[in-house]
Amino acid sequence: MSTPARKRLMRDFKRLQNDPPQGVNGSPNPDNIMQWNAVIFGPEDTPWDGGTFKLTLEFTEEYPNKAPVVKFKSTMFHPNIYADGGICLDILQNQWSPIYDVSAILTSIQSLLCDPNPNSPANSEAARMYSENRREYNRRVKEVVEGSWTESVD
Amino acid sequence: MSWRLRGNQSPDRVSTFSAGDDNGDGAESRPLASTGNNSFAEGTADNLPKTSVSSVSAAAGDSCGSHPAAENDAAEASSKPEQIVAAETSSRPTDAEIIAQENAIRASEADKLPFVGDVEPLSALAAEYQEGSRVFLQKIHTLEGQYSSIRRARGDGNCFFRSFIFAFFEHLVNTNDLAERNRVVTCIRQWRKKMIDSGFQELVFEDAMEVIFDQLNSLDTDDPLTVASLEGNMRDGMLSNMVVMLLRMLTSCEIQRREDFFAPFIMGMSDDALSVEQFRRRCVEPMGEESDHVHIVALTDALQIPIRVVYLDRSMGAAMAGVEAGEGASVNHHDFIPDACAAAAGGGPVQPRVHVLYRPGHYDILYPYA
Repeated sequence: MSTPARKRLMRDFKRLQNDPPQGVNGSPNPDNIMQWNAVIFGPEDTPWDGGTFKLTLEFTEEYPNKAPVVKFKSTMFHPNIYADGGICLDILQNQWSPIYDVSAILTSIQSLLCDPNPNSPANSEAARMYSENRREYNRRVKEVVEGSWTESVD
Repeated sequence: MSWRLRGNQSPDRVSTFSAGDDNGDGAESRPLASTGNNSFAEGTADNLPKTSVSSVSAAAGDSCGSHPAAENDAAEASSKPEQIVAAETSSRPTDAEIIAQENAIRASEADKLPFVGDVEPLSALAAEYQEGSRVFLQKIHTLEGQYSSIRRARGDGNCFFRSFIFAFFEHLVNTNDLAERNRVVTCIRQWRKKMIDSGFQELVFEDAMEVIFDQLNSLDTDDPLTVASLEGNMRDGMLSNMVVMLLRMLTSCEIQRREDFFAPFIMGMSDDALSVEQFRRRCVEPMGEESDHVHIVALTDALQIPIRVVYLDRSMGAAMAGVEAGEGASVNHHDFIPDACAAAAGGGPVQPRVHVLYRPGHYDILYPYA
Protein backbone atom coordinates (compact mmCIF):
# COMPACT_ATOMS: atom_id res chain seq x y z
CA MET A 1 0.00 0.00 0.00
CA SER A 2 1.30 3.42 -0.87
CA THR A 3 1.38 5.78 2.07
CA PRO A 4 2.86 9.28 2.18
CA ALA A 5 5.93 7.90 3.95
CA ARG A 6 6.48 5.18 1.35
CA LYS A 7 5.86 7.58 -1.50
CA ARG A 8 8.41 9.96 -0.06
CA LEU A 9 10.96 7.15 0.42
CA MET A 10 10.62 6.19 -3.24
CA ARG A 11 11.47 9.79 -4.11
CA ASP A 12 14.42 9.73 -1.73
CA PHE A 13 15.65 6.57 -3.41
CA LYS A 14 15.23 8.02 -6.88
CA ARG A 15 17.26 11.07 -5.93
CA LEU A 16 19.97 8.93 -4.40
CA GLN A 17 20.25 7.03 -7.69
CA ASN A 18 19.96 9.97 -10.09
CA ASP A 19 22.06 12.40 -8.13
CA PRO A 20 24.34 10.25 -5.96
CA PRO A 21 26.35 12.20 -3.40
CA GLN A 22 30.01 11.34 -3.24
CA GLY A 23 31.03 8.65 -0.83
CA VAL A 24 27.64 7.40 0.31
CA ASN A 25 25.21 4.86 -1.01
CA GLY A 26 21.97 3.34 0.18
CA SER A 27 18.95 1.38 -0.90
CA PRO A 28 15.77 -0.02 0.62
CA ASN A 29 15.37 -3.73 1.22
CA PRO A 30 13.74 -5.26 -1.86
CA ASP A 31 10.77 -6.45 0.19
CA ASN A 32 10.48 -3.55 2.64
CA ILE A 33 10.93 0.06 1.69
CA MET A 34 10.91 1.10 5.36
CA GLN A 35 14.21 -0.70 5.99
CA TRP A 36 17.33 0.56 4.27
CA ASN A 37 20.94 -0.49 4.14
CA ALA A 38 23.59 2.08 3.45
CA VAL A 39 27.33 2.41 3.12
CA ILE A 40 29.44 5.42 3.96
CA PHE A 41 32.95 5.52 2.59
CA GLY A 42 35.57 7.14 4.77
CA PRO A 43 36.44 10.57 3.36
CA GLU A 44 39.79 10.77 1.55
CA ASP A 45 42.79 12.40 3.20
CA THR A 46 41.43 11.66 6.65
CA PRO A 47 42.11 8.78 9.04
CA TRP A 48 38.77 7.36 7.88
CA ASP A 49 40.03 7.04 4.27
CA GLY A 50 39.36 3.61 2.81
CA GLY A 51 36.75 2.56 5.36
CA THR A 52 33.47 1.09 4.15
CA PHE A 53 31.04 1.56 7.00
CA LYS A 54 27.69 -0.13 6.88
CA LEU A 55 24.52 1.30 8.40
CA THR A 56 20.84 0.57 8.67
CA LEU A 57 18.04 3.12 8.51
CA GLU A 58 14.62 2.25 9.90
CA PHE A 59 11.72 4.47 8.90
CA THR A 60 8.20 4.63 10.29
CA GLU A 61 4.98 5.76 8.67
CA GLU A 62 5.58 9.11 10.35
CA TYR A 63 8.52 9.83 8.07
CA PRO A 64 9.39 12.56 7.09
CA ASN A 65 7.69 14.08 10.11
CA LYS A 66 9.91 11.90 12.30
CA ALA A 67 13.53 11.01 11.73
CA PRO A 68 14.53 7.42 10.94
CA VAL A 69 16.53 5.37 13.42
CA VAL A 70 20.02 5.18 11.97
CA LYS A 71 22.67 2.80 13.26
CA PHE A 72 26.13 1.77 12.24
CA LYS A 73 26.44 -1.97 11.79
CA SER A 74 30.20 -1.76 11.35
CA THR A 75 32.21 -1.39 14.53
CA MET A 76 33.06 2.28 15.00
CA PHE A 77 35.36 4.36 17.16
CA HIS A 78 34.02 7.90 17.25
CA PRO A 79 33.07 10.42 19.97
CA ASN A 80 29.45 10.63 18.82
CA ILE A 81 28.75 6.98 18.05
CA TYR A 82 27.50 4.66 20.79
CA ALA A 83 28.76 1.14 21.32
CA ASP A 84 25.56 -0.24 19.76
CA GLY A 85 26.10 1.82 16.61
CA GLY A 86 23.57 4.51 17.54
CA ILE A 87 24.52 7.99 16.36
CA CYS A 88 24.39 11.18 18.39
CA LEU A 89 23.72 13.75 15.69
CA ASP A 90 21.47 16.76 16.16
CA ILE A 91 19.58 16.40 12.89
CA LEU A 92 18.62 12.82 13.80
CA GLN A 93 17.27 14.00 17.13
CA ASN A 94 16.06 17.37 18.32
CA GLN A 95 17.00 19.24 15.17
CA TRP A 96 15.34 16.85 12.74
CA SER A 97 13.17 18.47 10.13
CA PRO A 98 11.39 17.16 7.05
CA ILE A 99 13.71 19.05 4.73
CA TYR A 100 16.25 16.24 5.12
CA ASP A 101 16.07 13.23 2.84
CA VAL A 102 18.12 10.03 2.88
CA SER A 103 20.82 11.65 0.80
CA ALA A 104 21.15 14.57 3.26
CA ILE A 105 21.13 12.20 6.26
CA LEU A 106 23.96 10.11 4.86
CA THR A 107 26.12 13.06 3.86
CA SER A 108 25.61 14.62 7.29
CA ILE A 109 26.76 11.42 8.97
CA GLN A 110 29.72 11.29 6.62
CA SER A 111 30.81 14.77 7.61
CA LEU A 112 30.30 13.91 11.28
CA LEU A 113 33.03 11.28 10.92
CA CYS A 114 35.71 13.94 10.46
CA ASP A 115 34.04 16.67 12.50
CA PRO A 116 33.06 15.10 15.79
CA ASN A 117 31.61 17.11 18.63
CA PRO A 118 33.47 15.84 21.71
CA ASN A 119 31.49 18.19 23.96
CA SER A 120 28.87 15.58 24.72
CA PRO A 121 30.28 12.21 23.93
CA ALA A 122 28.48 8.99 23.12
CA ASN A 123 31.83 7.22 23.43
CA SER A 124 33.78 8.92 26.19
CA GLU A 125 37.01 7.09 25.48
CA ALA A 126 36.96 8.22 21.87
CA ALA A 127 36.04 11.75 22.91
CA ARG A 128 38.84 12.02 25.41
CA MET A 129 41.36 10.57 23.01
CA TYR A 130 40.20 12.87 20.23
CA SER A 131 40.91 15.88 22.42
CA GLU A 132 43.98 14.71 24.30
CA ASN A 133 45.83 12.25 22.13
CA ARG A 134 44.99 12.69 18.50
CA ARG A 135 47.73 10.35 17.32
CA GLU A 136 46.36 7.46 19.34
CA TYR A 137 42.83 8.40 18.27
CA ASN A 138 43.85 8.25 14.61
CA ARG A 139 45.45 4.86 15.19
CA ARG A 140 42.22 3.50 16.66
CA VAL A 141 40.27 4.93 13.73
CA LYS A 142 42.63 3.17 11.31
CA GLU A 143 41.86 -0.07 13.16
CA VAL A 144 38.13 0.26 12.57
CA VAL A 145 38.81 1.22 8.95
CA GLU A 146 40.68 -2.06 8.47
CA GLY A 147 38.05 -3.92 10.43
CA SER A 148 35.36 -2.59 8.10
CA TRP A 149 36.84 -4.48 5.16
CA THR A 150 36.41 -7.92 6.65
CA GLU A 151 33.67 -7.52 9.21
CA SER A 152 30.51 -9.45 8.60
CA VAL A 153 27.53 -7.32 9.56
CA ASP A 154 24.62 -9.68 9.06
CA MET B 1 3.87 23.98 23.82
CA SER B 2 7.51 23.51 23.59
CA TRP B 3 9.30 20.25 24.08
CA ARG B 4 12.57 21.97 24.59
CA LEU B 5 12.71 22.42 28.31
CA ARG B 6 15.23 19.81 29.20
CA GLY B 7 16.27 18.02 32.30
CA ASN B 8 19.49 19.95 32.07
CA GLN B 9 17.63 23.21 32.42
CA SER B 10 19.45 25.29 34.95
CA PRO B 11 17.41 26.06 38.07
CA ASP B 12 18.25 29.71 37.58
CA ARG B 13 16.53 29.85 34.31
CA VAL B 14 13.44 28.10 35.59
CA SER B 15 13.08 30.48 38.47
CA THR B 16 13.56 33.35 36.07
CA PHE B 17 10.44 32.56 34.23
CA SER B 18 8.26 31.49 37.12
CA ALA B 19 8.98 34.75 38.82
CA GLY B 20 8.62 36.82 35.71
CA ASP B 21 5.63 38.85 36.78
CA ASP B 22 6.79 42.25 35.71
CA ASN B 23 7.57 41.50 32.12
CA GLY B 24 4.02 40.73 31.23
CA ASP B 25 4.67 37.12 30.38
CA GLY B 26 1.83 35.94 32.53
CA ALA B 27 3.64 33.14 34.28
CA GLU B 28 1.83 33.84 37.51
CA SER B 29 -1.54 34.18 35.98
CA ARG B 30 -1.89 30.48 35.62
CA PRO B 31 -5.56 29.80 35.93
CA LEU B 32 -6.45 27.93 39.09
CA ALA B 33 -9.66 26.64 37.62
CA SER B 34 -8.20 25.30 34.43
CA THR B 35 -10.55 23.26 32.32
CA GLY B 36 -7.75 20.88 31.68
CA ASN B 37 -7.67 21.26 27.94
CA ASN B 38 -5.92 24.53 27.98
CA SER B 39 -2.28 24.06 27.37
CA PHE B 40 -1.28 27.51 28.49
CA ALA B 41 1.04 27.99 31.43
CA GLU B 42 2.14 24.47 31.94
CA GLY B 43 5.55 25.46 33.01
CA THR B 44 7.32 24.76 29.80
CA ALA B 45 9.66 26.90 27.81
CA ASP B 46 6.67 28.56 26.20
CA ASN B 47 6.53 30.87 29.12
CA LEU B 48 10.16 31.72 29.01
CA PRO B 49 11.18 35.06 27.72
CA LYS B 50 11.94 34.42 24.10
CA THR B 51 15.64 34.93 24.42
CA SER B 52 15.78 32.01 26.79
CA VAL B 53 13.81 29.82 24.45
CA SER B 54 16.34 30.39 21.74
CA SER B 55 19.26 29.72 23.96
CA VAL B 56 17.67 26.53 25.23
CA SER B 57 17.32 25.32 21.67
CA ALA B 58 20.84 26.27 20.90
CA ALA B 59 22.14 24.48 23.96
CA ALA B 60 20.25 21.37 22.97
CA GLY B 61 21.88 21.54 19.59
CA ASP B 62 25.23 21.27 21.25
CA SER B 63 24.45 18.11 23.09
CA CYS B 64 25.18 16.02 20.07
CA GLY B 65 27.30 15.92 17.04
CA SER B 66 26.23 18.81 14.95
CA HIS B 67 25.17 19.17 11.42
CA PRO B 68 27.80 20.85 9.26
CA ALA B 69 25.84 24.11 9.50
CA ALA B 70 26.73 24.21 13.18
CA GLU B 71 30.30 23.11 12.86
CA ASN B 72 31.59 26.20 14.59
CA ASP B 73 30.20 24.80 17.81
CA ALA B 74 32.19 21.63 17.38
CA ALA B 75 35.36 23.52 16.65
CA GLU B 76 34.85 25.65 19.68
CA ALA B 77 34.14 22.66 21.86
CA SER B 78 37.23 20.79 20.82
CA SER B 79 39.40 23.57 22.14
CA LYS B 80 37.95 23.09 25.62
CA PRO B 81 38.69 19.55 26.68
CA GLU B 82 37.77 20.24 30.30
CA GLN B 83 34.15 20.43 29.22
CA ILE B 84 34.23 16.79 28.34
CA VAL B 85 34.63 15.79 31.92
CA ALA B 86 31.85 18.10 32.97
CA ALA B 87 29.53 16.64 30.37
CA GLU B 88 30.30 13.11 31.46
CA THR B 89 29.85 13.52 35.14
CA SER B 90 26.67 15.60 35.05
CA SER B 91 23.41 13.77 35.59
CA ARG B 92 22.00 15.04 32.35
CA PRO B 93 19.54 12.59 30.81
CA THR B 94 20.60 10.79 27.68
CA ASP B 95 19.25 11.85 24.31
CA ALA B 96 17.08 8.75 24.25
CA GLU B 97 15.58 9.70 27.62
CA ILE B 98 14.91 13.22 26.45
CA ILE B 99 13.18 12.01 23.32
CA ALA B 100 11.14 9.51 25.34
CA GLN B 101 10.05 12.27 27.66
CA GLU B 102 9.14 14.53 24.78
CA ASN B 103 7.05 11.77 23.25
CA ALA B 104 5.28 11.25 26.57
CA ILE B 105 4.44 14.95 26.78
CA ARG B 106 3.17 14.90 23.22
CA ALA B 107 0.98 11.91 23.96
CA SER B 108 -0.52 13.58 27.01
CA GLU B 109 -1.22 16.74 25.00
CA ALA B 110 -2.88 14.62 22.34
CA ASP B 111 -5.20 13.15 24.96
CA LYS B 112 -6.36 16.60 25.95
CA LEU B 113 -7.11 18.16 22.59
CA PRO B 114 -7.07 17.27 18.90
CA PHE B 115 -4.75 19.37 16.70
CA VAL B 116 -7.61 21.83 16.45
CA GLY B 117 -10.55 21.80 18.84
CA ASP B 118 -14.21 22.72 18.42
CA VAL B 119 -15.55 26.26 18.38
CA GLU B 120 -16.29 27.39 21.93
CA PRO B 121 -17.90 30.57 23.19
CA LEU B 122 -15.48 33.09 24.56
CA SER B 123 -17.03 32.58 27.98
CA ALA B 124 -15.24 29.21 28.04
CA LEU B 125 -12.01 31.17 28.13
CA ALA B 126 -13.19 33.36 31.00
CA ALA B 127 -14.17 30.25 32.95
CA GLU B 128 -10.52 29.21 33.04
CA TYR B 129 -9.53 32.33 34.89
CA GLN B 130 -12.36 32.63 37.38
CA GLU B 131 -9.96 32.20 40.25
CA GLY B 132 -6.97 33.52 38.41
CA SER B 133 -5.74 36.85 37.22
CA ARG B 134 -8.15 39.77 37.40
CA VAL B 135 -6.33 41.43 34.52
CA PHE B 136 -7.01 38.45 32.32
CA LEU B 137 -10.68 38.43 33.25
CA GLN B 138 -11.00 42.13 32.53
CA LYS B 139 -9.34 41.72 29.18
CA ILE B 140 -11.44 38.71 28.25
CA HIS B 141 -14.49 40.77 29.11
CA THR B 142 -13.31 43.39 26.63
CA LEU B 143 -12.69 40.74 23.99
CA GLU B 144 -16.23 39.45 24.41
CA GLY B 145 -17.35 42.71 22.87
CA GLN B 146 -15.41 41.97 19.69
CA TYR B 147 -15.19 38.21 19.42
CA SER B 148 -17.90 35.60 19.69
CA SER B 149 -15.84 32.50 20.04
CA ILE B 150 -12.53 30.74 20.18
CA ARG B 151 -11.14 27.54 18.70
CA ARG B 152 -8.20 26.07 20.52
CA ALA B 153 -5.14 24.58 18.86
CA ARG B 154 -3.10 21.85 20.49
CA GLY B 155 -0.11 23.18 22.36
CA ASP B 156 2.51 21.18 20.51
CA GLY B 157 4.74 24.00 19.32
CA ASN B 158 2.93 24.10 15.99
CA CYS B 159 -0.09 25.99 17.31
CA PHE B 160 0.60 29.19 15.42
CA PHE B 161 0.95 27.47 12.05
CA ARG B 162 -2.04 25.25 12.70
CA SER B 163 -4.26 28.10 13.93
CA PHE B 164 -3.22 30.31 11.06
CA ILE B 165 -3.92 27.89 8.23
CA PHE B 166 -7.09 26.48 9.76
CA ALA B 167 -8.55 29.94 10.25
CA PHE B 168 -7.60 30.97 6.73
CA PHE B 169 -9.12 27.88 5.12
CA GLU B 170 -12.23 28.23 7.26
CA HIS B 171 -12.49 31.86 6.18
CA LEU B 172 -12.38 30.74 2.54
CA VAL B 173 -15.02 28.07 3.16
CA ASN B 174 -17.35 30.49 4.90
CA THR B 175 -16.96 33.36 2.44
CA ASN B 176 -16.53 31.18 -0.66
CA ASP B 177 -14.08 33.85 -1.75
CA LEU B 178 -12.83 32.16 -4.91
CA ALA B 179 -10.79 35.17 -5.98
CA GLU B 180 -8.76 34.94 -2.79
CA ARG B 181 -8.57 31.18 -3.22
CA ASN B 182 -7.18 31.63 -6.72
CA ARG B 183 -4.72 34.22 -5.53
CA VAL B 184 -3.31 32.00 -2.82
CA VAL B 185 -3.11 28.96 -5.11
CA THR B 186 -1.11 31.03 -7.59
CA CYS B 187 1.03 32.37 -4.79
CA ILE B 188 1.86 28.88 -3.49
CA ARG B 189 2.54 27.69 -7.07
CA GLN B 190 5.12 30.45 -7.38
CA TRP B 191 6.78 29.22 -4.22
CA ARG B 192 7.59 25.94 -5.93
CA LYS B 193 10.19 27.63 -8.10
CA LYS B 194 11.34 30.00 -5.38
CA MET B 195 12.00 27.09 -3.02
CA ILE B 196 13.88 25.09 -5.64
CA ASP B 197 15.93 28.17 -6.49
CA SER B 198 16.70 28.56 -2.79
CA GLY B 199 18.10 25.05 -2.55
CA PHE B 200 15.09 23.08 -1.27
CA GLN B 201 14.69 19.65 -2.81
CA GLU B 202 11.34 19.46 -4.58
CA LEU B 203 10.82 15.98 -3.21
CA VAL B 204 10.62 17.29 0.34
CA PHE B 205 7.68 19.62 -0.28
CA GLU B 206 5.76 18.49 -3.38
CA ASP B 207 3.42 16.09 -1.57
CA ALA B 208 2.56 18.66 1.06
CA MET B 209 1.84 21.22 -1.65
CA GLU B 210 -0.55 18.79 -3.31
CA VAL B 211 -2.38 18.31 -0.01
CA ILE B 212 -2.96 22.05 0.21
CA PHE B 213 -3.98 22.39 -3.44
CA ASP B 214 -6.44 19.50 -3.09
CA GLN B 215 -8.21 21.27 -0.27
CA LEU B 216 -8.20 24.69 -1.88
CA ASN B 217 -9.24 23.43 -5.30
CA SER B 218 -12.16 21.44 -3.90
CA LEU B 219 -13.90 24.68 -2.87
CA ASP B 220 -15.77 25.02 -6.18
CA THR B 221 -16.34 21.35 -6.90
CA ASP B 222 -19.35 19.10 -6.27
CA ASP B 223 -17.61 17.83 -3.17
CA PRO B 224 -16.40 21.06 -1.67
CA LEU B 225 -14.36 21.55 1.43
CA THR B 226 -16.65 22.21 4.39
CA VAL B 227 -15.88 23.24 7.92
CA ALA B 228 -16.55 19.65 8.98
CA SER B 229 -14.21 18.15 6.38
CA LEU B 230 -11.61 20.79 7.15
CA GLU B 231 -11.80 19.81 10.81
CA GLY B 232 -11.41 16.19 9.80
CA ASN B 233 -8.37 16.93 7.64
CA MET B 234 -6.67 19.15 10.15
CA ARG B 235 -7.17 16.61 12.93
CA ASP B 236 -5.62 13.87 10.81
CA GLY B 237 -2.03 13.60 11.94
CA MET B 238 -0.61 12.96 8.49
CA LEU B 239 -2.48 15.65 6.56
CA SER B 240 -2.32 18.24 9.29
CA ASN B 241 1.39 17.82 9.84
CA MET B 242 2.13 17.90 6.12
CA VAL B 243 0.45 21.28 5.92
CA VAL B 244 2.39 22.59 8.94
CA MET B 245 5.59 21.20 7.43
CA LEU B 246 5.03 23.11 4.20
CA LEU B 247 4.25 26.33 6.06
CA ARG B 248 7.48 25.95 8.00
CA MET B 249 9.45 25.51 4.79
CA LEU B 250 7.78 28.55 3.21
CA THR B 251 8.58 30.56 6.32
CA SER B 252 12.18 29.39 6.28
CA CYS B 253 12.53 30.15 2.58
CA GLU B 254 11.04 33.63 2.98
CA ILE B 255 13.55 34.35 5.76
CA GLN B 256 16.37 33.07 3.58
CA ARG B 257 15.29 35.19 0.62
CA ARG B 258 15.10 38.33 2.75
CA GLU B 259 18.04 37.54 4.97
CA ASP B 260 19.19 41.16 5.21
CA PHE B 261 15.81 42.23 6.51
CA PHE B 262 15.46 39.46 9.09
CA ALA B 263 19.07 39.15 10.26
CA PRO B 264 19.01 41.99 12.85
CA PHE B 265 15.81 40.63 14.46
CA ILE B 266 17.23 37.11 14.61
CA MET B 267 20.54 38.23 16.05
CA GLY B 268 18.73 40.16 18.74
CA MET B 269 16.62 37.20 19.84
CA SER B 270 19.19 35.29 21.83
CA ASP B 271 22.50 35.73 23.56
CA ASP B 272 23.98 33.23 21.14
CA ALA B 273 23.33 35.54 18.19
CA LEU B 274 22.26 32.72 15.92
CA SER B 275 23.03 33.18 12.27
CA VAL B 276 20.04 33.33 9.96
CA GLU B 277 20.98 29.88 8.68
CA GLN B 278 21.15 28.43 12.20
CA PHE B 279 17.87 30.08 13.13
CA ARG B 280 16.12 28.54 10.13
CA ARG B 281 17.57 25.09 10.81
CA ARG B 282 16.93 25.14 14.55
CA CYS B 283 13.90 27.32 15.12
CA VAL B 284 11.83 27.29 11.94
CA GLU B 285 12.15 24.05 10.02
CA PRO B 286 11.89 21.43 12.80
CA MET B 287 8.34 20.55 13.77
CA GLY B 288 7.31 21.67 17.23
CA GLU B 289 9.55 24.72 17.41
CA GLU B 290 7.71 27.74 18.78
CA SER B 291 6.74 30.62 16.56
CA ASP B 292 7.82 34.12 17.29
CA HIS B 293 7.38 37.50 15.66
CA VAL B 294 9.89 36.62 12.95
CA HIS B 295 7.97 33.51 11.93
CA ILE B 296 4.70 35.43 11.75
CA VAL B 297 6.11 38.25 9.66
CA ALA B 298 7.76 35.80 7.27
CA LEU B 299 4.74 33.55 6.83
CA THR B 300 2.18 36.32 6.41
CA ASP B 301 4.48 38.02 3.88
CA ALA B 302 5.14 34.75 2.06
CA LEU B 303 1.43 34.11 1.54
CA GLN B 304 0.30 37.74 1.65
CA ILE B 305 -2.36 37.02 4.20
CA PRO B 306 -2.93 39.81 6.74
CA ILE B 307 -3.57 38.65 10.27
CA ARG B 308 -4.35 40.18 13.64
CA VAL B 309 -2.72 38.85 16.80
CA VAL B 310 -4.57 39.75 20.00
CA TYR B 311 -2.37 39.65 23.08
CA LEU B 312 -3.89 38.32 26.26
CA ASP B 313 -1.10 38.92 28.73
CA ARG B 314 -0.55 40.58 32.06
CA SER B 315 0.52 43.94 30.73
CA MET B 316 -1.29 46.40 32.97
CA GLY B 317 -0.63 50.06 32.31
CA ALA B 318 -2.91 51.11 29.50
CA ALA B 319 -5.29 48.25 30.21
CA MET B 320 -6.09 49.43 33.70
CA ALA B 321 -6.29 53.06 32.67
CA GLY B 322 -9.23 51.94 30.57
CA VAL B 323 -10.83 50.23 33.55
CA GLU B 324 -10.47 53.32 35.69
CA ALA B 325 -12.04 55.39 32.96
CA GLY B 326 -14.96 52.97 33.03
CA GLU B 327 -14.28 51.79 29.49
CA GLY B 328 -13.06 48.32 30.28
CA ALA B 329 -9.52 46.95 30.04
CA SER B 330 -7.95 47.63 26.70
CA VAL B 331 -6.35 44.70 24.95
CA ASN B 332 -3.26 45.04 22.81
CA HIS B 333 -3.26 43.69 19.32
CA HIS B 334 -0.90 43.84 16.41
CA ASP B 335 -1.82 43.59 12.76
CA PHE B 336 0.67 41.88 10.49
CA ILE B 337 -0.03 43.48 7.13
CA PRO B 338 2.17 42.34 4.27
CA ASP B 339 3.40 45.19 2.09
CA ALA B 340 1.63 43.81 -0.95
CA CYS B 341 -1.71 43.88 0.90
CA ALA B 342 -1.14 47.42 2.11
CA ALA B 343 -0.22 48.52 -1.41
CA ALA B 344 -3.31 46.85 -2.85
CA ALA B 345 -5.45 48.73 -0.34
CA GLY B 346 -3.96 51.97 -1.60
CA GLY B 347 -3.31 53.36 1.84
CA GLY B 348 -6.74 52.41 3.13
CA PRO B 349 -7.26 50.05 6.05
CA VAL B 350 -6.51 46.37 5.49
CA GLN B 351 -8.88 43.91 7.13
CA PRO B 352 -7.10 40.95 8.69
CA ARG B 353 -8.39 37.68 7.30
CA VAL B 354 -7.31 35.69 10.30
CA HIS B 355 -7.53 36.56 14.00
CA VAL B 356 -5.49 34.65 16.54
CA LEU B 357 -5.32 34.97 20.28
CA TYR B 358 -1.85 34.95 21.81
CA ARG B 359 -1.33 33.97 25.39
CA PRO B 360 2.31 33.76 26.37
CA GLY B 361 3.62 30.75 24.53
CA HIS B 362 0.42 29.76 22.80
CA TYR B 363 -1.91 30.68 19.94
CA ASP B 364 -5.60 29.89 19.39
CA ILE B 365 -8.11 31.05 16.77
CA LEU B 366 -10.50 33.92 17.48
CA TYR B 367 -13.81 34.54 15.69
CA PRO B 368 -14.85 38.17 15.36
CA TYR B 369 -18.55 39.01 15.27
CA ALA B 370 -19.77 38.96 11.69
